[in-house]
Amino acid sequence: MKEFTYKICDELGIHARPAGLAVKEAGKFKSKITIYKDEKQADMKRLFAVMGLSVKQGDTVRVTIDGEDEEQALVSIEGFFRNNL
Amino acid sequence: MFFKSKENPKIYAVQDGDSVSLDMVPDQVFAEKMLGDGVAIIPRSNKVKSPVNGRIVQVFDTRHAYSIETDDGLEVLVHIGINTVELKGEGFEPKVKDGDRIKVGDVLCEADLDLMIKKGYEIYTPVIITNMDAVKTIKTFSGNVIGGETPVIEYKKA
Repeated sequence: MKEFTYKICDELGIHARPAGLAVKEAGKFKSKITIYKDEKQADMKRLFAVMGLSVKQGDTVRVTIDGEDEEQALVSIEGFFRNNL
Repeated sequence: MFFKSKENPKIYAVQDGDSVSLDMVPDQVFAEKMLGDGVAIIPRSNKVKSPVNGRIVQVFDTRHAYSIETDDGLEVLVHIGINTVELKGEGFEPKVKDGDRIKVGDVLCEADLDLMIKKGYEIYTPVIITNMDAVKTIKTFSGNVIGGETPVIEYKKA
């Protein structure tokens, strides 16, 4: 399993657009990808779940990636957060 | 043997106005169906009504978007205006809260269309099925619609 943490810089947090893009990115991989905020967690391949975390600017999220393509997924998903959030 | 054809479930217009195909929406996230499939309403009315029977999963903190789970397990997102997250709630008055049960036509929100236009926002309201894996077929309808009355999407569950 791989994981990383990331502090959200985007002023608007993870609203519908970035949530949609995140889900699309996660959907490219077979691995199970989970995003955690505080005690809440969400399957990063499900839009309602990701939006439901209501992640705001300044929040720190943790993302875990578990599966056969976790190496590539880590690079891609972590890159996605840095570029978009 | 006689089989009575069962009517497909429907999703209704959320506002009075015009129903258009998603590729008309000036935002690629919606136009390219990245969030899912559906329609967009170009509204004439401030009242935004529920398109389905179900339960409010989430009223966004910014009050411009509503996640709804239908009684048959679809996830439907009603997103009022384009980039209106930037308004941070201004011009949106929710009439529901997380967990509320809702029926087709119940008012979800009063949205100030004039304010959105004045501030330079495009007033499309995409209505999207976000868990398309739960759907086998979807048919969408364009044209003049009445909120809470005119069907704009017909679907078959997977």
